[in-house]
Amino acid sequence: MQSFNELKLNSKEPVYIQIASFVKKEILLKRAILGDKLPSRREIAAQLSVNPNTVQKAFKLMEEEGYVHTSGNQGSIIYVNEVIYRLIEEELTGELVREFITSAKDINLSFKKVVELITEHW
Amino acid sequence: MIQLSFVTKLYNSNNFGLVIEELEIPTGEIVGVLGANGSGKTTFLKSVMGLGELKRGEVLIAGKPVMEQYHNIAFITEEGSYLSHLTPLMYGEFLSVFFPKFNMEKYIKLLKYFDINTKNKIRTFSKGQKSKVEICAGFSKGAKYILLDEPFLGKDMFTRQDFLKMMISILRTDETILISSHFVNEIENIIDRALIFERGRIQGDYYIDDLREEGKELSEVMKTISGYQENKYQNAMKLI
Repeated sequence: MQSFNELKLNSKEPVYIQIASFVKKEILLKRAILGDKLPSRREIAAQLSVNPNTVQKAFKLMEEEGYVHTSGNQGSIIYVNEVIYRLIEEELTGELVREFITSAKDINLSFKKVVELITEHW
Repeated sequence: MIQLSFVTKLYNSNNFGLVIEELEIPTGEIVGVLGANGSGKTTFLKSVMGLGELKRGEVLIAGKPVMEQYHNIAFITEEGSYLSHLTPLMYGEFLSVFFPKFNMEKYIKLLKYFDINTKNKIRTFSKGQKSKVEICAGFSKGAKYILLDEPFLGKDMFTRQDFLKMMISILRTDETILISSHFVNEIENIIDRALIFERGRIQGDYYIDDLREEGKELSEVMKTISGYQENKYQNAMKLI
Protein backbone atom coordinates (compact mmCIF):
# COMPACT_ATOMS: atom_id res chain seq x y z
CA MET A 1 0.00 0.00 0.00
CA GLN A 2 1.37 3.37 -1.06
CA SER A 3 1.88 5.65 1.95
CA PHE A 4 1.66 9.43 1.83
CA ASN A 5 3.39 10.01 5.16
CA GLU A 6 6.52 11.29 3.48
CA LEU A 7 4.72 13.96 1.51
CA LYS A 8 5.39 17.33 3.13
CA LEU A 9 2.94 19.86 1.76
CA ASN A 10 3.97 23.40 0.89
CA SER A 11 1.69 26.43 0.81
CA LYS A 12 2.62 27.49 -2.73
CA GLU A 13 1.21 24.83 -5.06
CA PRO A 14 -2.36 23.50 -5.14
CA VAL A 15 -2.53 20.43 -2.89
CA TYR A 16 -3.97 18.16 -5.59
CA ILE A 17 -0.95 18.88 -7.79
CA GLN A 18 1.41 18.17 -4.90
CA ILE A 19 -0.28 14.80 -4.35
CA ALA A 20 0.01 13.87 -8.04
CA SER A 21 3.66 15.01 -8.16
CA PHE A 22 4.42 12.90 -5.10
CA VAL A 23 2.96 9.79 -6.74
CA LYS A 24 4.95 10.49 -9.93
CA LYS A 25 8.13 10.81 -7.88
CA GLU A 26 7.40 7.50 -6.14
CA ILE A 27 6.96 5.89 -9.56
CA LEU A 28 10.19 7.41 -10.86
CA LEU A 29 12.08 6.06 -7.84
CA LYS A 30 10.39 2.68 -8.38
CA ARG A 31 9.00 2.83 -4.85
CA ALA A 32 5.56 2.62 -6.44
CA ILE A 33 5.21 -0.11 -9.04
CA LEU A 34 2.53 -1.56 -11.28
CA GLY A 35 -0.38 -2.91 -9.24
CA ASP A 36 0.46 -1.18 -5.93
CA LYS A 37 -2.70 -0.26 -4.10
CA LEU A 38 -3.49 3.30 -3.08
CA PRO A 39 -5.28 3.99 0.21
CA SER A 40 -8.87 5.22 0.11
CA ARG A 41 -9.44 8.90 -0.58
CA ARG A 42 -10.64 9.45 2.96
CA GLU A 43 -7.56 7.71 4.37
CA ILE A 44 -5.22 9.90 2.29
CA ALA A 45 -7.14 13.02 3.30
CA ALA A 46 -6.73 12.14 6.98
CA GLN A 47 -3.05 11.15 6.56
CA LEU A 48 -2.26 14.52 5.00
CA SER A 49 -4.86 16.58 6.91
CA VAL A 50 -6.36 17.87 3.68
CA ASN A 51 -9.83 18.26 2.25
CA PRO A 52 -11.36 15.01 0.88
CA ASN A 53 -12.54 17.01 -2.18
CA THR A 54 -8.90 17.85 -2.90
CA VAL A 55 -7.89 14.19 -2.82
CA GLN A 56 -10.73 13.45 -5.21
CA LYS A 57 -9.35 16.14 -7.51
CA ALA A 58 -5.87 14.59 -7.32
CA PHE A 59 -7.26 11.16 -8.29
CA LYS A 60 -9.06 12.67 -11.25
CA LEU A 61 -5.81 14.22 -12.44
CA MET A 62 -3.78 11.03 -11.88
CA GLU A 63 -6.37 8.94 -13.70
CA GLU A 64 -6.38 11.36 -16.62
CA GLU A 65 -2.59 11.34 -16.76
CA GLY A 66 -2.76 7.56 -16.81
CA TYR A 67 -0.65 6.31 -13.89
CA VAL A 68 -3.55 5.55 -11.56
CA HIS A 69 -6.34 3.18 -12.50
CA THR A 70 -9.53 2.91 -10.50
CA SER A 71 -12.03 0.10 -10.69
CA GLY A 72 -15.17 -0.31 -8.67
CA ASN A 73 -14.28 -3.34 -6.59
CA GLN A 74 -10.49 -3.11 -6.46
CA GLY A 75 -10.10 0.54 -5.57
CA SER A 76 -7.23 2.49 -7.07
CA ILE A 77 -3.90 1.06 -8.15
CA ILE A 78 -0.67 2.33 -9.69
CA TYR A 79 -0.44 1.70 -13.40
CA VAL A 80 2.93 2.04 -15.17
CA ASN A 81 4.20 0.88 -18.52
CA GLU A 82 7.32 1.92 -20.34
CA VAL A 83 5.70 4.89 -22.10
CA ILE A 84 4.24 6.28 -18.86
CA TYR A 85 7.51 5.77 -17.02
CA ARG A 86 9.46 7.67 -19.71
CA LEU A 87 6.94 10.52 -19.66
CA ILE A 88 7.20 10.85 -15.88
CA GLU A 89 10.97 10.68 -16.06
CA GLU A 90 11.13 13.43 -18.67
CA GLU A 91 8.71 15.61 -16.74
CA LEU A 92 10.42 15.31 -13.38
CA THR A 93 14.01 15.57 -14.62
CA GLY A 94 13.05 18.49 -16.85
CA GLU A 95 11.47 20.21 -13.87
CA LEU A 96 14.57 19.67 -11.75
CA VAL A 97 16.87 21.12 -14.41
CA ARG A 98 14.61 24.11 -15.05
CA GLU A 99 14.47 24.89 -11.33
CA PHE A 100 18.23 24.63 -11.13
CA ILE A 101 18.69 26.97 -14.10
CA THR A 102 16.33 29.51 -12.54
CA SER A 103 18.25 29.52 -9.25
CA ALA A 104 21.56 29.75 -11.11
CA LYS A 105 20.32 32.71 -13.14
CA ASP A 106 19.02 34.34 -9.95
CA ILE A 107 22.58 34.66 -8.74
CA ASN A 108 23.84 35.73 -12.18
CA LEU A 109 25.80 32.57 -12.94
CA SER A 110 26.83 32.24 -16.57
CA PHE A 111 26.27 29.03 -18.53
CA LYS A 112 30.02 28.58 -18.78
CA LYS A 113 30.50 28.99 -15.03
CA VAL A 114 27.69 26.52 -14.29
CA VAL A 115 29.24 23.89 -16.54
CA GLU A 116 32.60 24.46 -14.87
CA LEU A 117 31.04 24.07 -11.43
CA ILE A 118 29.15 20.92 -12.41
CA THR A 119 32.34 19.39 -13.79
CA GLU A 120 34.15 20.26 -10.59
CA HIS A 121 31.52 18.95 -8.20
CA TRP A 122 30.19 15.93 -10.11
CA MET B 1 -26.20 26.26 0.05
CA ILE B 2 -25.90 29.29 2.29
CA GLN B 3 -26.98 32.60 0.79
CA LEU B 4 -26.53 36.04 2.26
CA SER B 5 -27.93 39.11 0.60
CA PHE B 6 -27.52 42.70 1.69
CA VAL B 7 -26.77 41.69 5.24
CA THR B 8 -26.08 44.64 7.51
CA LYS B 9 -25.42 44.49 11.19
CA LEU B 10 -24.35 47.52 13.14
CA TYR B 11 -23.13 48.05 16.65
CA ASN B 12 -23.43 51.16 18.77
CA SER B 13 -19.83 50.95 19.78
CA ASN B 14 -17.00 51.84 17.44
CA ASN B 15 -17.05 48.28 16.17
CA PHE B 16 -17.41 47.95 12.41
CA GLY B 17 -20.41 45.64 12.41
CA LEU B 18 -20.96 43.63 9.28
CA VAL B 19 -21.88 44.53 5.72
CA ILE B 20 -22.21 41.80 3.09
CA GLU B 21 -23.90 42.55 -0.18
CA GLU B 22 -24.00 39.10 -1.69
CA LEU B 23 -22.46 35.80 -0.70
CA GLU B 24 -23.15 32.24 -1.78
CA ILE B 25 -21.60 29.17 -0.24
CA PRO B 26 -22.46 26.01 -2.19
CA THR B 27 -23.19 22.77 -0.35
CA GLY B 28 -20.14 20.69 0.50
CA GLU B 29 -17.67 23.54 0.60
CA ILE B 30 -15.22 23.93 3.45
CA VAL B 31 -14.75 27.64 3.94
CA GLY B 32 -12.13 29.37 6.06
CA VAL B 33 -13.36 32.53 7.77
CA LEU B 34 -10.19 34.51 8.19
CA GLY B 35 -9.05 37.95 9.24
CA ALA B 36 -7.37 39.86 12.03
CA ASN B 37 -8.87 40.22 15.51
CA GLY B 38 -12.04 42.30 15.42
CA SER B 39 -12.45 42.01 11.64
CA GLY B 40 -15.96 40.56 11.87
CA LYS B 41 -15.44 36.79 11.72
CA THR B 42 -17.53 35.92 14.77
CA THR B 43 -20.19 38.48 13.84
CA PHE B 44 -20.41 36.84 10.42
CA LEU B 45 -20.76 33.32 11.84
CA LYS B 46 -23.36 34.50 14.35
CA SER B 47 -25.32 36.15 11.54
CA VAL B 48 -25.33 32.94 9.55
CA MET B 49 -26.48 31.15 12.69
CA GLY B 50 -29.22 33.73 13.16
CA LEU B 51 -27.91 34.93 16.50
CA GLY B 52 -28.68 38.58 17.09
CA GLU B 53 -30.83 40.70 14.88
CA LEU B 54 -29.81 41.93 11.46
CA LYS B 55 -30.44 45.56 10.64
CA ARG B 56 -31.13 44.63 7.05
CA GLY B 57 -30.80 41.71 4.72
CA GLU B 58 -31.47 38.04 4.63
CA VAL B 59 -29.70 34.78 5.36
CA LEU B 60 -31.05 31.68 3.66
CA ILE B 61 -29.90 28.15 4.34
CA ALA B 62 -31.00 25.64 1.70
CA GLY B 63 -33.50 28.28 0.62
CA LYS B 64 -35.09 28.69 4.03
CA PRO B 65 -34.64 31.19 6.86
CA VAL B 66 -32.23 30.07 9.59
CA MET B 67 -35.05 29.71 12.11
CA GLU B 68 -36.40 26.78 10.14
CA GLN B 69 -32.97 25.16 9.86
CA TYR B 70 -31.73 25.04 13.45
CA HIS B 71 -31.89 21.25 13.51
CA ASN B 72 -29.55 21.23 10.51
CA ILE B 73 -26.92 23.56 11.95
CA ALA B 74 -24.25 23.01 14.55
CA PHE B 75 -22.48 26.04 15.97
CA ILE B 76 -19.29 25.13 17.75
CA THR B 77 -17.91 28.04 19.73
CA GLU B 78 -15.24 28.72 22.28
CA GLU B 79 -17.91 30.26 24.51
CA GLY B 80 -19.37 26.78 24.77
CA SER B 81 -22.97 25.71 24.58
CA TYR B 82 -22.62 22.72 26.92
CA LEU B 83 -24.28 22.66 30.33
CA SER B 84 -21.53 22.56 32.93
CA HIS B 85 -23.51 20.89 35.69
CA LEU B 86 -24.04 17.82 33.50
CA THR B 87 -21.62 15.03 32.70
CA PRO B 88 -20.78 14.61 28.98
CA LEU B 89 -23.04 11.56 28.98
CA MET B 90 -26.00 13.44 30.46
CA TYR B 91 -25.35 16.31 28.09
CA GLY B 92 -25.57 13.87 25.17
CA GLU B 93 -28.92 12.61 26.44
CA PHE B 94 -30.08 16.21 26.73
CA LEU B 95 -29.03 16.94 23.14
CA SER B 96 -30.73 13.87 21.73
CA VAL B 97 -34.02 15.30 22.97
CA PHE B 98 -33.52 18.49 20.99
CA PHE B 99 -31.76 17.10 17.94
CA PRO B 100 -33.71 14.22 16.44
CA LYS B 101 -30.67 13.20 14.39
CA PHE B 102 -28.27 13.28 17.35
CA ASN B 103 -26.04 10.22 17.11
CA MET B 104 -25.26 9.06 20.66
CA GLU B 105 -22.97 6.26 19.51
CA LYS B 106 -20.87 8.63 17.40
CA TYR B 107 -20.79 11.13 20.28
CA ILE B 108 -19.45 8.57 22.73
CA LYS B 109 -16.87 7.36 20.19
CA LEU B 110 -15.67 10.92 19.63
CA LEU B 111 -15.42 11.58 23.38
CA LYS B 112 -13.33 8.44 23.65
CA TYR B 113 -11.13 9.56 20.74
CA PHE B 114 -10.33 12.74 22.68
CA ASP B 115 -9.86 10.82 25.98
CA ILE B 116 -12.74 12.59 27.68
CA ASN B 117 -14.07 11.16 30.90
CA THR B 118 -17.79 10.80 30.28
CA LYS B 119 -18.85 10.46 33.91
CA ASN B 120 -17.48 13.62 35.53
CA LYS B 121 -19.30 16.92 35.47
CA ILE B 122 -18.21 19.18 32.63
CA ARG B 123 -17.49 22.05 35.00
CA THR B 124 -14.60 20.10 36.54
CA PHE B 125 -12.88 19.91 33.12
CA SER B 126 -10.00 22.03 31.85
CA LYS B 127 -10.68 24.64 29.18
CA GLY B 128 -9.31 22.34 26.47
CA GLN B 129 -11.41 19.38 27.64
CA LYS B 130 -14.56 21.50 27.73
CA SER B 131 -14.09 22.59 24.17
CA LYS B 132 -13.49 18.99 23.11
CA VAL B 133 -16.92 18.16 24.57
CA GLU B 134 -18.32 21.06 22.53
CA ILE B 135 -16.69 19.71 19.36
CA CYS B 136 -17.85 16.11 19.96
CA ALA B 137 -21.40 17.32 20.54
CA GLY B 138 -21.33 19.58 17.47
CA PHE B 139 -20.21 16.83 15.16
CA SER B 140 -22.78 14.36 16.49
CA LYS B 141 -25.86 16.45 15.79
CA GLY B 142 -26.18 15.12 12.26
CA ALA B 143 -26.05 18.72 11.05
CA LYS B 144 -25.50 19.52 7.40
CA TYR B 145 -24.11 22.95 8.21
CA ILE B 146 -21.30 23.13 10.72
CA LEU B 147 -20.03 26.48 11.93
CA LEU B 148 -16.84 26.50 13.96
CA ASP B 149 -15.74 29.67 15.69
CA GLU B 150 -12.06 29.44 16.65
CA PRO B 151 -12.14 25.73 17.44
CA PHE B 152 -8.37 25.79 18.02
CA LEU B 153 -8.31 28.42 20.74
CA GLY B 154 -6.33 27.18 23.72
CA LYS B 155 -5.50 23.82 22.12
CA ASP B 156 -2.03 22.40 21.81
CA MET B 157 -0.49 21.43 18.46
CA PHE B 158 -1.29 17.72 18.78
CA THR B 159 -4.91 18.30 19.76
CA ARG B 160 -5.30 20.62 16.75
CA GLN B 161 -3.92 17.92 14.48
CA ASP B 162 -6.11 15.24 16.06
CA PHE B 163 -9.12 17.47 15.68
CA LEU B 164 -8.51 18.14 11.99
CA LYS B 165 -7.90 14.47 11.23
CA MET B 166 -11.03 13.55 13.16
CA MET B 167 -13.05 16.10 11.22
CA ILE B 168 -11.76 14.86 7.87
CA SER B 169 -12.44 11.25 8.80
CA ILE B 170 -16.06 11.74 9.77
CA LEU B 171 -17.17 14.14 7.03
CA ARG B 172 -19.46 12.72 4.41
CA THR B 173 -18.62 15.52 1.95
CA ASP B 174 -22.18 16.83 1.82
CA GLU B 175 -21.65 18.97 4.90
CA THR B 176 -20.99 22.65 4.43
CA ILE B 177 -18.39 23.88 6.89
CA LEU B 178 -17.45 27.37 7.96
CA ILE B 179 -14.40 27.54 10.17
CA SER B 180 -12.80 30.64 11.63
CA SER B 181 -9.23 30.43 12.81
CA HIS B 182 -6.00 32.33 13.19
CA PHE B 183 -4.01 29.19 12.43
CA VAL B 184 -3.99 29.94 8.73
CA ASN B 185 -1.23 27.55 7.78
CA GLU B 186 -2.85 24.69 9.67
CA ILE B 187 -6.16 25.00 7.85
CA GLU B 188 -5.19 26.32 4.43
CA ASN B 189 -4.83 22.80 3.03
CA ILE B 190 -8.21 21.78 4.36
CA ILE B 191 -10.36 24.65 3.20
CA ASP B 192 -11.64 24.94 -0.37
CA ARG B 193 -12.12 28.64 -0.06
CA ALA B 194 -11.03 31.55 2.09
CA LEU B 195 -13.15 34.53 3.04
CA ILE B 196 -10.92 37.28 4.35
CA PHE B 197 -12.62 39.80 6.61
CA GLU B 198 -11.43 43.31 7.32
CA ARG B 199 -13.48 45.98 9.13
CA GLY B 200 -16.67 43.96 8.89
CA ARG B 201 -16.48 43.41 5.17
CA ILE B 202 -15.34 40.53 2.99
CA GLN B 203 -12.24 41.99 1.36
CA GLY B 204 -11.04 38.76 -0.17
CA ASP B 205 -12.85 35.68 -1.44
CA TYR B 206 -10.52 33.09 -2.94
CA TYR B 207 -10.49 29.44 -3.87
CA ILE B 208 -7.17 28.18 -2.54
CA ASP B 209 -6.28 26.16 -5.65
CA ASP B 210 -6.97 29.14 -7.94
CA LEU B 211 -4.93 31.42 -5.71
CA ARG B 212 -1.93 29.09 -5.78
CA GLU B 213 -2.25 28.52 -9.50
CA GLU B 214 -1.83 32.28 -9.86
CA GLY B 215 1.36 31.92 -7.85
CA LYS B 216 0.00 33.61 -4.74
CA GLU B 217 0.14 32.51 -1.13
CA LEU B 218 -2.78 32.89 1.24
CA SER B 219 -0.74 34.36 4.08
CA GLU B 220 0.72 37.01 1.75
CA VAL B 221 -2.72 37.95 0.44
CA MET B 222 -3.96 38.25 4.02
CA LYS B 223 -1.06 40.53 4.92
CA THR B 224 -1.95 42.85 2.06
CA ILE B 225 -5.66 42.88 2.84
CA SER B 226 -5.30 43.55 6.54
CA GLY B 227 -2.71 46.24 5.84
CA TYR B 228 -0.18 44.56 8.09
CA GLN B 229 2.77 46.87 8.64
CA GLU B 230 5.87 44.79 8.68
CA ASN B 231 8.05 47.54 10.07
CA LYS B 232 5.80 48.52 12.95
CA TYR B 233 8.13 46.80 15.42
CA GLN B 234 10.63 49.57 14.76
CA ASN B 235 8.31 51.96 16.61
CA ALA B 236 8.41 49.61 19.57
CA MET B 237 12.19 49.65 19.49
CA LYS B 238 12.11 53.43 19.80
CA LEU B 239 10.18 53.10 23.06
CA ILE B 240 13.16 51.82 24.96
